[in-house]
Amino acid sequence: MKYKKYLIIIQNNTIVHCHLELVDYNGFEVMFMWMTEIENLRRELSVTPAGEICREVLFYQGVKEYYSQPPIIAKSYGTAAVMAKAKAYLYQNDLIAGSIRGIFQKDVDARIMGHAKQVYRSYGQNHFGTNSDHFAPDYQTFLGDGIGGTYRKIEVSRKLHKDAKARRFLKAAKITLDGFCGMLQNYAEEADKKAEAEKGEKKRRFLNMAADLRMLLTEKPTTFRQALQLIFLCHIAFLLQDKHAMAFGRMDQFLLPYYEKDLRQGVLTREEAVALLTSMFIKIGEHRYLGGDDTVNICIGGITPTGEDAVNPLSYCILEAVRIANIPGPNLSARIHERTPDKFLDEALKVIATGLGYPALMNDNINIPALLRHGYAREDVNDYCFVGCVENFIPGKQPPWSDGRFNVPMYFEPLLFHGKALLHPDYIGLDTGGPEALKTMKDFLKAFHRQLAYGFSEYYMFFNNENDRYQSENYAQPFLSLFCGDCIERGRDIRDGGAKYPSAHGAGCMGIATVADSLAAVDKLVYQEKKYTLCQLAEAIRVNYQGYEQMREDLLAAPKYGNDDDFVDRYAIWYVEEMERLVSEYRTRDGGPVYAAIASNVQNISAGREVAATPDGRRCGEALSDAASPMHGMDREGITAVVKSTTKPDFRLISCGTVLNQKLTPGLLRKDEYRKKFAALLRVYFKRGGQEMQMNCVSREMLKDAMEHPENYRSLVVRVSGFSAYFVELDPAVQLDILKRTEHGGAV
Amino acid sequence: MRLMVSNIQHFSVSDGPGIRTTVFLSGCNLRCQWCHNPETWEMGPVTLHFAGGQEEKCGFLMSISEIFEKVSGDLEFYQESGGGITVSGGEPLLQTEEVSELLSCCKKAGIHTLVDTAGALPYERFLPLLPVTDVFYYDIKAADEKRYRVYTGGSFQLVRENLLRLRAEGSEVILRLPLIPGVNTDMKSVETITALAAEAGIMEIHLLPYHRYGISKYNALGMEYPMKNKRLVSQRQMDKIRASYQEAGFLVK
Repeated sequence: MKYKKYLIIIQNNTIVHCHLELVDYNGFEVMFMWMTEIENLRRELSVTPAGEICREVLFYQGVKEYYSQPPIIAKSYGTAAVMAKAKAYLYQNDLIAGSIRGIFQKDVDARIMGHAKQVYRSYGQNHFGTNSDHFAPDYQTFLGDGIGGTYRKIEVSRKLHKDAKARRFLKAAKITLDGFCGMLQNYAEEADKKAEAEKGEKKRRFLNMAADLRMLLTEKPTTFRQALQLIFLCHIAFLLQDKHAMAFGRMDQFLLPYYEKDLRQGVLTREEAVALLTSMFIKIGEHRYLGGDDTVNICIGGITPTGEDAVNPLSYCILEAVRIANIPGPNLSARIHERTPDKFLDEALKVIATGLGYPALMNDNINIPALLRHGYAREDVNDYCFVGCVENFIPGKQPPWSDGRFNVPMYFEPLLFHGKALLHPDYIGLDTGGPEALKTMKDFLKAFHRQLAYGFSEYYMFFNNENDRYQSENYAQPFLSLFCGDCIERGRDIRDGGAKYPSAHGAGCMGIATVADSLAAVDKLVYQEKKYTLCQLAEAIRVNYQGYEQMREDLLAAPKYGNDDDFVDRYAIWYVEEMERLVSEYRTRDGGPVYAAIASNVQNISAGREVAATPDGRRCGEALSDAASPMHGMDREGITAVVKSTTKPDFRLISCGTVLNQKLTPGLLRKDEYRKKFAALLRVYFKRGGQEMQMNCVSREMLKDAMEHPENYRSLVVRVSGFSAYFVELDPAVQLDILKRTEHGGAV
Repeated sequence: MRLMVSNIQHFSVSDGPGIRTTVFLSGCNLRCQWCHNPETWEMGPVTLHFAGGQEEKCGFLMSISEIFEKVSGDLEFYQESGGGITVSGGEPLLQTEEVSELLSCCKKAGIHTLVDTAGALPYERFLPLLPVTDVFYYDIKAADEKRYRVYTGGSFQLVRENLLRLRAEGSEVILRLPLIPGVNTDMKSVETITALAAEAGIMEIHLLPYHRYGISKYNALGMEYPMKNKRLVSQRQMDKIRASYQEAGFLVK
């Protein structure tokens, strides 16, 4: 393929053409052929579709003639109709077909919509309790089989399985695959139409697209573009079915053979691959039409199933594409291990430096042992990826994810108030004797453990009963099962023993730092210094420290997690071990493991609203510490102390994953020399046993927040030669200057 | 033995090779008009009251062992990155015996040591540091006696002689040149410094363009900012000065 090679710079949303070989684009050197298409596609995407989401109407149209059939079959006709009847929408600048726009319809009859919703609901909706999404499909196998191969697999299995249930499942799977084919067919026809209306390069592109789509109806993909096309339409099909946080998984691994073959045969250039990937990633942003950003996890790097370093040229293409797409939604994760090339880490940091906040950096040396504890095969674990934000997942070998929120800091209340929770009058906890019964710190921890164990048993009971309610066959996921290892062969749904491994559940444990800081404050002020009695503390908490200002100041001055202080860090160690103690008692309904997670990124705010004042000096309703990070503004000894504190607990016990958020001043990752030093810091973090770190460079929005809440940004140090200052203490004009400048003066 | 410390900055990335811990000391014999650390002038405690309501206390006595504990805690980071300790200020030479003691502990622990000094004190003050300092960052703030005196209150002649002596006795020295328009960015200053650097056998020069990040500290200390109307160094001027030193054969950063 020959394309005119020109390079483009975009400034203030205006495209400036430029004929140089290399240009500096957003601080990076890029060579680009197709920036125009991508930027124009971005513009097309910025128009929100008119009309309303008519998923239920399409489902109803498909299902209504099959009410006499078993629910799994009838429902599959509905699902198939959602795929086949949604309009195939192509953008003028599409390089890869697929859009959720087709599900929006104008002038839908309100009566039909109302009725369709009733029907749709009666067939069961998707949520965590039904294990319906947050899944990493086995795209590698699906690409290798193609649609034709998948049909053949279903046929073979239908001949082998005589039992009615398996045959029903396989029939349902086939019906949904027919629906998916209908969708491809629609896109092919739409591409024909577009080709007719276009000239030159665009016409050729749409003709190629139509040809690819028709070919994919029967054959397996052979080129990189065809492979991308197929997985993106799968992804769109999931979205049409109301499935979210559907991961792409290890794209740099399963797409590599297509990429390498195309390069070898001269039918693809690196730049074109980046353009195709970008044009696909940018459409993840369509999710905003549905009311918010998706979290589509994409995993790069790490090790191969056989244990070799897995970074390859495609890993870099994906990094670049995610950077150019420059939207939230493609949630990029980079797996790091001790043999990860420095160049890869450096390129990852460059992307973070743009202010995107990802890739999140994941430590293979913690996550792999964390998963191996549950008996998964070594090669499967080596091939792990993530769903949602950071949840460790074995792609295509386990049912979709589920998780919940376990609000750990809330359990100080039943401990101090005889089983009562201050903000939840209906909570009935254990009466462990109240504050007067706890004579030593050991008593305190023991009673706290009893509260947590009881609280967790209730948490689990509620989840499990809900999860159990959705009988496998009626809530079957035949389409999803096509993307999961052994389902077709076994003739069993992904939720009904079809997957190689049983379902895993993640209990999102809140507030590690709030709890560790609270325990340290109690230990220091109540038991060691005896400055206050536990009864006094309980009373102060009950009245939200009103009239107890001095006590609150003392509590705030007690050692805090994140400052490399063993006095408090040992309680973070305790917390991690305690969470593992709690979850390891339970199994999911199909016998799978319950993982602890310390990764609740935003929920610390809503969870905090449900928690009264805590012994760390936090007031009632205020945010809890976020994920596995120190309490915001309390890490005052610098980032090296944060690294040391946050690597003391044994995170191999946290099988789901943790999140350590770090805010950085913008220049730190822009200058090569500083970035190298930051990479060294990360190497230490990972060597010491850190599980995950994600970094946000201060943006204009953050600056505004920093000015309003400087206490939350205390840890931001400005690093200029010979200069000593905190970012929040700078003159506002200087802060703005630091955000704007890139290199000169080395301001960070 | 105790040191008057203004602040300790961990993960310092711009004060020497690798990841460093910079110990900013209180007390300075100069009063450079562009100084960005005015809280380090007095050898004693000061409190900065920032406009946003934050307060910061600087200037407190810390024992050598206490400082060493903080510095050596980051050993892994130094090892991974080739970093170490940087003593800055303020003027470290004012507490030279104590600094020497601290650096001696660091050397014993295998930590790379760096001292950032303006060198505007009698040479004897360098002596305790010589055996325990791997690298000196040596600031040259102006290149003639008159301007050095007016803008800093020190003596260029002394700075010059100390530099030559320090080099003659074999210390590794990197020159740091704050670039202040109207003070040392004229080509005559550049020539003088080039000649001095060549005479001293200097290999590496760091250019530090003037910035105004220190303004809020002056306000926080209730002081007038002395360089209110001073302009920044233009990129063109920076490039010209950099090129000049590079042509003279120095490694310029």
